[in-house]
Amino acid sequence: MTAASPSAASPSTSLDDRSGAGNRTKRFARFALIGSSVAIAVAYGSAFQEGGAPGWAPWLLALGIPTALVAVMIMGAVREKTGLKRLAIPFAFVGILLAVVFCLALALPPNESAQSRLFLGLPLRAALVVYGVGLLPTLILPIVYALTFETQTLTTEDVLKVRELGAAYAKRHDGRRSEE
Amino acid sequence: MTLLLLQTFLPRVAHPSVIAVGIAYFAVIIAISVWASRRTKTAGDFFVAGRGIGLIALTVASVSTSVSGFAFIGGPGLMYTVGLGALFIVLPASVTNVMGAWVLAKRMRLLAEARGLMTVPDAIGARYRSPAAQGLSGVAILVGIVGYMATNALAMGVVIDAIFGVGIGWGIWLGMGITLAYSAAGGILAGIYNDVFQGTLMAFASVLVFIFVLKAGGGLAGISQAILETDPKFLAPWGKLSPLAALSFFFVFAMGALGQPHGVHKYYMLRDPMQLKWYPLLKTLGLILVLLLYFGVGIGVKAFTSNGLMPPLKAPDQATPTLLLSVTPVFLAALVFSGVAAATMSAVNSFINIGAAVVTHDIPVAIGKKVRNELAWGRAATACIAVLAALIAQYSGTLVAFLGIFGWGLFASTLVPALAIGLNWQGATRAGAIASIACGLTITLSLEIAAYMKVFTFPSGVTASAISLVLSILVFFLVSHLTHGKASDRIDEDVRVIMEM
Repeated sequence: MTAASPSAASPSTSLDDRSGAGNRTKRFARFALIGSSVAIAVAYGSAFQEGGAPGWAPWLLALGIPTALVAVMIMGAVREKTGLKRLAIPFAFVGILLAVVFCLALALPPNESAQSRLFLGLPLRAALVVYGVGLLPTLILPIVYALTFETQTLTTEDVLKVRELGAAYAKRHDGRRSEE
Repeated sequence: MTLLLLQTFLPRVAHPSVIAVGIAYFAVIIAISVWASRRTKTAGDFFVAGRGIGLIALTVASVSTSVSGFAFIGGPGLMYTVGLGALFIVLPASVTNVMGAWVLAKRMRLLAEARGLMTVPDAIGARYRSPAAQGLSGVAILVGIVGYMATNALAMGVVIDAIFGVGIGWGIWLGMGITLAYSAAGGILAGIYNDVFQGTLMAFASVLVFIFVLKAGGGLAGISQAILETDPKFLAPWGKLSPLAALSFFFVFAMGALGQPHGVHKYYMLRDPMQLKWYPLLKTLGLILVLLLYFGVGIGVKAFTSNGLMPPLKAPDQATPTLLLSVTPVFLAALVFSGVAAATMSAVNSFINIGAAVVTHDIPVAIGKKVRNELAWGRAATACIAVLAALIAQYSGTLVAFLGIFGWGLFASTLVPALAIGLNWQGATRAGAIASIACGLTITLSLEIAAYMKVFTFPSGVTASAISLVLSILVFFLVSHLTHGKASDRIDEDVRVIMEM
């Protein structure tokens, strides 16, 4: 329950100072997140100019948003010593999928009409967005998460190690309180 | 998001079946609350359900808390107005749950294991060893909660008035009274199990409504054809929004999901951390079921008003009630109305609990005080917050709608950098966290107030939430870079190990 304690600090060990596949991947993801955030900020900034957002602004969002989302997912999924391993392909696939769907929605001609051919009940561009963005990632990422959980996310050993650390922290903390 | 529920009053649906289902619904809520109150004995029980919730219960409760009344009333109304562009608010659900699992769930649950954390600001305090960052994030959450709570209190009043015909004022106090009773007595435990009941009800009603809409419209193809003949732009990928506006929705509701305290707070409560394995899959599937109504009613009403099956709506918020009374049996309409009340009460309960934790735990930590009896003070804070929200809802006029606007954006801009990115990057510093929280709070409030006072108008497609979110992320990286390597920013050993897992 005690969250902010000044105890038991380890030496400052930034990821930048370490080697390892996980750290390189995290650094790459961090730069991708910063770059995509800058792109998104530029897109919003451009909307303030006279005449509104220029034609390229939505394209920056169409590319920047998937990059930012996948980058932050990579930062969360990478374990320091092992890197991304089998997660690389699904992450790349979903990032590219989102970017391609958004770009196609921007690039394809706006020709929805009563004569439009329907794909799974919707005009082409709408079907791309609804099924490509709203449904397809659902069939990939949560299943990948479950299938790789023990190898990539959390093991029983991890939990036991954390419990030991927690017990040690509580012991130190309680000891210091009784000294006070 | 509940704003759209407030633009107009719902039509009265005080049919005997609707009232009977409504009364039965409230009776179940009271029974669950009495049961939960007997099991709530400590502050840990009150705020994080003693970290003893199973996977299915937590998943259903989390779905229930995520959607609020907006998914049933405001969302379909928005879709009726702007077309498919409104879907960009809910499309991120395909990635947000698994993103939250990878980015936050494991680390927050393990922090709870190691430190016994109870609140979202607790995690920020532990990560940066900073009571100031913990307190500031608590203040940001409290500011957002006041808005959300007041807006949802008014939404409850509107829905209860529509069902029972008691007037909006009485509706507010009736809904808030029931929610307060179970929140104060049973804490988050009552909230979770009421959410399980409410979430199940919402999913069941949503699927049934979707099936009825498809049947009445001749399938999705028939519905699309009816719309394309009169208003083809409705089915453009961005609907009637600009691409910038639709993509902005996607950005704010995707990235911003990592900063919603009522969602991420639930990670603490799972009984066994290994059960996280199935959490994102189950929650995503649950959300898809609940959001079928959003999509089905939004597109269905447009088709039925296009082909003459329904008269044009007087106001967008009447989309759901009008459609229900036109194409579904009364019993199903009753279920959905109870579902709307359920959704708003579920959201209110969650926010009351989080707000009480900020008042009795996070802010005292920030100023170096320790509250002796957190359970008793938690119950007292719960009552104060609920009464304050109900008073604001009843007496603040149009201000309440304004308060409801910025909740999501405020949570996103203040918590995403410091919490979601900070728990996954050891180079993040205390100064970076504090600067990003302050930046998110300041920019969101100043831009929203300026827009409300009409001294500033946003360009088309740009919102305060989007600007403040992206700027707070950049400020977080910039300040962390500038203050990198300071000894005071070292990380506790247990937290560092968890971050490296």
